[in-house]
Amino acid sequence: MELEAIGKNEYELFFGPAHPGSGNFSVKLKIDGERVVSARADPGYLHRGFEKLMEYRIPIQNAVLSDRICVLEPLAWNLIHAEAVEELMGIEVPERAKYIRVIMAELSRIQSHLIWYGVLSIGTGFQTGFKLAFGYRDFILDLFELITGGRVYPTGYICPGGVRRDLPESAKERIPKVLDKIEKMIDFVRAENPANIARLRDIGVLKLEDAIRLGATGPVIRASGLKTDVRKDEPYEVYDRFDFEIPVRKKGDAYARFQIV
Amino acid sequence: MLEKEIIDKIEKKFEVEGSVQRERRVIVKIAPDKLVELCKFIKDLGFEHLSSLSVTDWPKRGIYEHTYHAWSYKDKILITIKTEINRDKPEIDSVYPVWGESAQIHEREMHELFGVEYKGNPDLSPLFLEEWHEKPPFRKDFDWREYVRKNFYDKENERERVYFERV
Repeated sequence: MELEAIGKNEYELFFGPAHPGSGNFSVKLKIDGERVVSARADPGYLHRGFEKLMEYRIPIQNAVLSDRICVLEPLAWNLIHAEAVEELMGIEVPERAKYIRVIMAELSRIQSHLIWYGVLSIGTGFQTGFKLAFGYRDFILDLFELITGGRVYPTGYICPGGVRRDLPESAKERIPKVLDKIEKMIDFVRAENPANIARLRDIGVLKLEDAIRLGATGPVIRASGLKTDVRKDEPYEVYDRFDFEIPVRKKGDAYARFQIV
Repeated sequence: MLEKEIIDKIEKKFEVEGSVQRERRVIVKIAPDKLVELCKFIKDLGFEHLSSLSVTDWPKRGIYEHTYHAWSYKDKILITIKTEINRDKPEIDSVYPVWGESAQIHEREMHELFGVEYKGNPDLSPLFLEEWHEKPPFRKDFDWREYVRKNFYDKENERERVYFERV
């Protein structure tokens, strides 16, 4: 940590880089005595400039590179990259590949939300929740290993034109089994937990107009009361053929976001 | 068709080249000095969410192409606004007064990576880079391989030689 005197009692304190559940991150604080006067975020520790890296490569190489954008949902990035290339090149994707993509995207979403719950648990001091979430996430990683060959990074499984290979025969049995297990875990997590409610209710309230102004999307804006979901609003792949509900909460606090995810 | 209606409304007020790309996709091209006015107009039409702001570098044509994507929660349509500015003296009016903080952070990033000056943006301080003295790193004429070779190549290390001398 560096200390640098700027005023009579004011100091600049470099706080971080730390990994507070959000990725590598540091804060530059201005401190007057023991009071924090201002804080500026420095999020640059993982910025790798993918746009520039992709300039030097062809789409089929970029399919693999797109994994690395984020640890939590490599398959979603695969999918987005593949769709962009397909639209530019006018490629039509086989029906079966579209369904496989949806299955993979949803599995990916579930494991990403599990991580979210794990990190939230650390934040509220509930270490068991962290272990629970990461333990159950591993069942999905096993499925990814079976289907794509990679546990976390699928090495461009969803690539322009479709997917790299078909689902293996045994996936048909294993996917529902894993989902049943995870559903039980989620029921357990959802159960009324006074400590959880006490820590989350009325914390970090984000009003709808603020959410829109700050450009919030997904579960965050749904917790603030806007019924929107890109899978419904602009169905990609074959999402328009599925019937599902969009959960919405009005309050916009941390507990509402917890209930949505 | 909703997409066509939106284009008509914009064309009545502004001089633009507009077209419907496909379902839920509308694209308009406009001169940079009319940009903020257009953005205000479409925000009132319901395009409340600025989902991205990006710059494309076209060195041969000598321009930076700005692309703004805005989403309408009401109509479920994504509008693309394109405008071109000079590449050597990149300056453009900020859309911060229109979309607020969500525009501010995008512009701050583009300022850092492409060196564009956004007039009216309150804070364009560096976001990711530290002690950067080169040209903006996302310009097409910035060669990152050369930069890495110059700054980080340890010539004593045989393993690194395999990577750096191969090119």
